[in-house]
Amino acid sequence: MSRLKWQAVVAGVGGQGVLFVSRALASAVEPVAGAILISEVHGMAQRGGAVVSHLKAGPFSGPLVSFGQADLLLALDPGEAVRNLTYLAPKGHLVVNAPDLEFLSPKARKALASFGAQVLTVPATELAGRAGTAKGANVVLLGAAAAVGALPVKLEELERAICDGQPQARAQANQKLLSLGAEAAAQV
Amino acid sequence: MSSKSKVRKEILMGNQALGRGLVENGVAVMTAYPGTPSSEILPSVVHYGAEMKHPPYCEWSVNEKVAVEVALSSAYTGQRSAVAMKMVGLNVALDPVMSAAYIGVIGGMILISADDPGPHSSQTEQDSRLLAHFAKLPVFDPDSPAMARDLVGPAFALSERFQIPVMIRPTLRVCHGRQNLNLREPKELGRAPVFQRDPFRWAAIPKMRLALHHALNAKLAKIQDYLSKSKSLNKWHAPLRPRAPLGILASGVSAALARDVLAELGLPVGEGKVPFLQTAAPYPLPTQPVSELIAGCRNVLVLEETEPVLELLAPQRDQLWGRASGHVPSAGELTPEVLGEVLERALAEAKLKPPRPRGKILTVPDQPPMRRPNLCPGCSHRAVFYSLRRALPTGVYPSDIGCYTLGMNQGAVDTCHDMGAAVTFASALSRGLNQAGDETPVVATIGDSTFFHSGITGLVNAVYNGSRFVLVILDNETTSMTGMQPTPESGLTADGHPGQAVDIKKLVEGCGVRWLTELDPYQMGDLQKTLKKAWRWCKGPEGSVAVIIARHACAAQRPKDAVAVPCKVAVKGQAAPVTTSFRPKDNPCADCGRCVAVCPVGALSRTGKGKIKVDQAKCTGCRLCAEVCPTGTMVLEPAGACVACGLCSTWFACPALAKDAKGYISIDRGWCVDCGLCAEVCAHGAIAPLEESK
Repeated sequence: MSRLKWQAVVAGVGGQGVLFVSRALASAVEPVAGAILISEVHGMAQRGGAVVSHLKAGPFSGPLVSFGQADLLLALDPGEAVRNLTYLAPKGHLVVNAPDLEFLSPKARKALASFGAQVLTVPATELAGRAGTAKGANVVLLGAAAAVGALPVKLEELERAICDGQPQARAQANQKLLSLGAEAAAQV
Repeated sequence: MSSKSKVRKEILMGNQALGRGLVENGVAVMTAYPGTPSSEILPSVVHYGAEMKHPPYCEWSVNEKVAVEVALSSAYTGQRSAVAMKMVGLNVALDPVMSAAYIGVIGGMILISADDPGPHSSQTEQDSRLLAHFAKLPVFDPDSPAMARDLVGPAFALSERFQIPVMIRPTLRVCHGRQNLNLREPKELGRAPVFQRDPFRWAAIPKMRLALHHALNAKLAKIQDYLSKSKSLNKWHAPLRPRAPLGILASGVSAALARDVLAELGLPVGEGKVPFLQTAAPYPLPTQPVSELIAGCRNVLVLEETEPVLELLAPQRDQLWGRASGHVPSAGELTPEVLGEVLERALAEAKLKPPRPRGKILTVPDQPPMRRPNLCPGCSHRAVFYSLRRALPTGVYPSDIGCYTLGMNQGAVDTCHDMGAAVTFASALSRGLNQAGDETPVVATIGDSTFFHSGITGLVNAVYNGSRFVLVILDNETTSMTGMQPTPESGLTADGHPGQAVDIKKLVEGCGVRWLTELDPYQMGDLQKTLKKAWRWCKGPEGSVAVIIARHACAAQRPKDAVAVPCKVAVKGQAAPVTTSFRPKDNPCADCGRCVAVCPVGALSRTGKGKIKVDQAKCTGCRLCAEVCPTGTMVLEPAGACVACGLCSTWFACPALAKDAKGYISIDRGWCVDCGLCAEVCAHGAIAPLEESK
């Protein structure tokens, strides 16, 4: 069996939980990929600045994703999605926290459409807010990504990676957020 | 402790991997001063050290020089020690580092200096490997968290075999990379510290230093030979092949990324088309394998960050393609994109055609503006910077290294150079300006941890030499930017045990400061009065350095303490933009100049005695001039609604103040922490506490 080779870029703004997402993806994917490399941003950039995390699963050596190589671009903020589109692979998935693609200019929408990537928009902040915790948008988005097959693992495996070993209340809250995302993805 | 039969596999950050490596190799003393990207190393030693029967002694030292001296002298006693810092910290520590190779150690000592190519969170892109060379210390250059961990053992072994400290130089992508690795058991060496009196070594006078230098050079030659023979430190990812047109010599993260980029170009190193040697030991350079590579290839591309070290130390340099030849950029991080261009050019010049071009890339027009980092909502530093501009608007504001450098967003940071320079710059600038008869107020800002690190010496110097300026010590009771490490004031040690607290007020008094006050910067009115009073004293006959300790809990570390009295605010609506007017007819102008000084946009100018000209095109209608005017000559009635003047978003610059396309402000509830401070900022009374929280 050939080993999985999968690359993702997670983008957002300080405080949105970018690092949580890339670590959750890493622990979910590790059993299938074997080797995991992540690159994170800490320090000054975390104070309200743009935060990007790269994840490479499988036989890679370096921690940074090249332009045009990300199988998944998961953006917790639409502006950061625009900034990081260059990482997306032609057949990759773009999963973005936005109600629709209105955040892109008509020109950019056209470029994205002709590029051939698979696009999913999820109003994750709104959905998480209705569930009582707007900060949970990152987990909603993960649930949506898993449901449309944008991850190399199933929703259940992701859920195990996120919820195992957590206090019951926390685990239940995250299960709820994941399923909210999955439901939203199913409706698209 | 985990059982030996069961392998523990964890995804570790590079800094955790280094910490784990130190614990797995019997480190007994660990010191550090926090600094991105190195800050998590010491806490990881504390964390993993708890698995040991006798956990290592760990301390957050007051600065990097102290940290090196503590670790170094511990190694004199035969114990294994380590010290961690960011690369600019190495500059601070250079004094003890320079002598360390001459004198050497008995127990193994590792100096970790984390570099920041980019730079992402630093002042420079300096390469610590050059300073290792300068100080004649061997240096290892890991390419990944796993390699960083795996180099700790060989570094201690080398250090003890040759009695010399060894540097490990990770870069940001190693420090803040994550990788899954198998944990090994912690090792307890059980060495009792013994200090062998040997003044001819430990206190060597200059004459003996010459002998030590000769001995050191002989030692380095032996180390070079030892490193040349190491198979594990010099890895041939692709072996030499006859008449190879191009070879690659690489070190650190560039060596790892180049392998991935070559694979993307359809030339995976495993296929062996391009001989590829990676060395983990840039200095002393393992000359034997490097010479072999250079002799066996027509040209050799050298990939390393951020300065040419392998390139300059290589025995034959004519065939090298690197920074000297212009093949590799001399500034900036070697990202996959940069490496892609470098490799494509080198392959083309070597007449090796990559089997496939790099993939299609999606580029879209209309990129969003850069997002500037900002102080957290509720941060008390924001209140200090706003008050500074209100109280002494014509001032010069030297500042320092820490979160509060972001006071730049509020126009209240004029200089930021190195740790402690706020104090020394303020003393020099105020002296120079005052001697020239210029009464510009000089107000320096420095954080608590930075004050302990390097501010005290500057303060003693300023008091001793009679400088006149205001120093505001921003005391949020922690080292915030780097992740909330305790300061000496906290009285907590690195492993959370109680130590003895050092009182900043007493320290300042001990420096000879005669005008000193403590206050809570959330009381912005008091703070503004105090700033004015302090500056008046500075320039008075008895004046010298005035110190204000502005103490308030860090909003990120202790949000509940920072916003102890929540005050929910709202914007009371929108009104049409307005401008101010100068009406001396009924109320003659007192010619005090306050309006001109306070105007944030320079719309006011004095055109004669008691005459102010308002540039209506510049005036934003913020109403500050009307508020400060003692005679009621500057006139602008409060609108009681937002007039889109932009004062709050520029002088207060809180991320919770959202601005629409027309410049009107609304409160972004996602960011707002209900500190209520912005209500005091708006001179139109447009931002006001909601009834229920009044």
